[in-house]
Amino acid sequence: MTAAKLIINEIKGYHNFLKFMIALVGLGAFASLVRFIFGLGVTTNLNDVYPWGLWISFDVVTAVPLAAGAFTLGAIVHCFHIKKLEPLVRPAIVTGFLGYSLVSVGLLLDLGQPQRAWHTMVYWNVHSPMFEVSMCIMAYTTVLFLEFLSPVCEKFGYHLPLRVLRWLEMPLVIGAASISTLHQSSLGTFFLIAVDKLHALWYNPLLPLLFWLSAIFTGISIIILEATMVHRFMGQPDESELLEVLTKILPWVLAVYLAVKLAATTLLSHGPLFDRPSLLALFVAEIVIGVIIPMVMFMKQAYREDQRMQLRGASLVIFGLVLNRFNVSMFGMEQADQAIYYPSVIESLVTIGIIAAHVLFFVLLAKYFPIFEHHPETVDYSIPDHAHSTAADHGHSPATGSGAVH
Amino acid sequence: MSSTSADFTTSKTFLIDTTKCTGCRGCQVACKQWNQLKAEDTKFFSGEGYQNPPLMSEFTFTRVKFKDYQKNGQNEFAFYKEMCMHCNEPACASVCPVGAFKKTTEGPVVYDAKRCIGCRFCMIACPFGVPKYEWSKAFPLVRKCTGCYSRIKEGLQPACATACPTAITYGSRSDMLKEAEKRLKNRPERYHQAIYGKDEAGGTSVLYLTHQPLDELGFKPVTKRALPSYTWQALRLVPGIFLTVGGGLSLLSWFTHRSERIRREEAFKNSKVTPETTNVETSEAETKEEHQ
Repeated sequence: MTAAKLIINEIKGYHNFLKFMIALVGLGAFASLVRFIFGLGVTTNLNDVYPWGLWISFDVVTAVPLAAGAFTLGAIVHCFHIKKLEPLVRPAIVTGFLGYSLVSVGLLLDLGQPQRAWHTMVYWNVHSPMFEVSMCIMAYTTVLFLEFLSPVCEKFGYHLPLRVLRWLEMPLVIGAASISTLHQSSLGTFFLIAVDKLHALWYNPLLPLLFWLSAIFTGISIIILEATMVHRFMGQPDESELLEVLTKILPWVLAVYLAVKLAATTLLSHGPLFDRPSLLALFVAEIVIGVIIPMVMFMKQAYREDQRMQLRGASLVIFGLVLNRFNVSMFGMEQADQAIYYPSVIESLVTIGIIAAHVLFFVLLAKYFPIFEHHPETVDYSIPDHAHSTAADHGHSPATGSGAVH
Repeated sequence: MSSTSADFTTSKTFLIDTTKCTGCRGCQVACKQWNQLKAEDTKFFSGEGYQNPPLMSEFTFTRVKFKDYQKNGQNEFAFYKEMCMHCNEPACASVCPVGAFKKTTEGPVVYDAKRCIGCRFCMIACPFGVPKYEWSKAFPLVRKCTGCYSRIKEGLQPACATACPTAITYGSRSDMLKEAEKRLKNRPERYHQAIYGKDEAGGTSVLYLTHQPLDELGFKPVTKRALPSYTWQALRLVPGIFLTVGGGLSLLSWFTHRSERIRREEAFKNSKVTPETTNVETSEAETKEEHQ
């Protein structure tokens, strides 16, 4: 049987949901091809009034905080040393790595000259938040890739790199948190330049701080969402006991965010706050649904423990975050007298394809690599004897090598 | 860019007296010719009033806006020549990740198409809505008024200033400001008492005098502070935050891991391990203990 045939047979065995995801990714890829052949002007609803649309608002500005789980959990587990959450780390890293890779894809699609993306590394402009963010995204995607290499090395039994990676674990975790702090907040700095464009409900000098705080609670919520979904649909163990630690942290972060947000909006913003009823409604929705309700929910012990409530609360937070990022990057930027922007079919297909790709690759990685079966104490970090004699030989030792320690 | 001390008094500056503008649109034509810009297929009344083309675009770097109004029961026109303001501290230059925009010492803000990656941040940043995108192309770049940099380097005046029979005066910023103030003082009944561009966006190399209040003519109300300072006040903290977060978390980790490290060292001292296993770390040492 040829390799192609093997692959086709393998795909035939997949669940229908995965096949559907593959179809969506295919459609998205086709739409991107159309975009490159015919250009941005024809295929998107972008114009000189709306130079940034769905791809920036969702694929970049929203997707980056949605991928914040890896750095948040890394810091919680390794720096704050809450070791019992360790089983959640690896799936979070995979989600983060996929998230950032797809952010890069989205960014490249949106650029007019994607073949020149490397220019950011050559022609520095430290005054540009975009420069800051693109450097950070490149650096952080590399960090996530290195962290992601651990399960890959385990799978193939590469002992030496595994030891190097473990030695790098703490520097990578700390690097991840620092780099993420920078670019999560700098995404907010993007909109500080839109002085007379972004509505006063969202424009205030603390926007970067708010973006960073909301990235933290979103990272935590994404981990809750992901762990619960994986338990429901992928037959992984119920982690709601571990998630309770996260739901305990969540209301605190939400409270700090709410306090900063209300203070910044009332004290630091210029211009009328109540002049546009539709924007006011969006602002209230974002705060009430995305911050206040989940915060009150998770102040109750019973809700923190209950798996269904964990999922609901986390989903509300994520909904609020998505709404917030769209408010800042799209709705709040629309002037009262302008036509309303809505994404074209091609734009929508690409974004749907990117979301589908995330789900698809996550499931596939979990299928073929030890993502959930990670128990740090059982991993064999020692170099087996045969590795000393024949370096070419080390491909065949067992994946998790749990027996070797004892 | 963050330095407000830089001197712009010698920057070449346009003084556009809209009360003298006749709406002939000679500037539009001269601009198209010098920059070799394609004509646009336009219709009358496609924008507000008689202006044509309705908007600036990749093919139109400047255009005259028409404003109808009533004076003593008569229909009158007011005009406003829209173009790049050539800010002293341009927002486009500060946000461009590859530094494709530059404020030249001569005055114009110029754009280096070879650097541009096409991210369109300049379009978001510009308070005047000047940079336009080549939406007609598969690999688009940004287009905008060049201030006729190629002409003024050779000692010529910009194409539009040369073509204009009445309204545009061109010279150093300090001279133009002086001239504008003189006109405001000498003919107070003729002018709305403001110079648009004197302080707008931290000061620009295009100054306007008008008869009507600025907002009625379609001038955008713009902050008086230089725009780059809005983002720089956050961005300048980046190195400090990086070191604080990195250092803080390193310290925190050192403390949180300390008890474990001490326990491991104790275990090592009390056990008869061979030196070879000394590099076996925490988790393994723990599991070993459990199994003993």
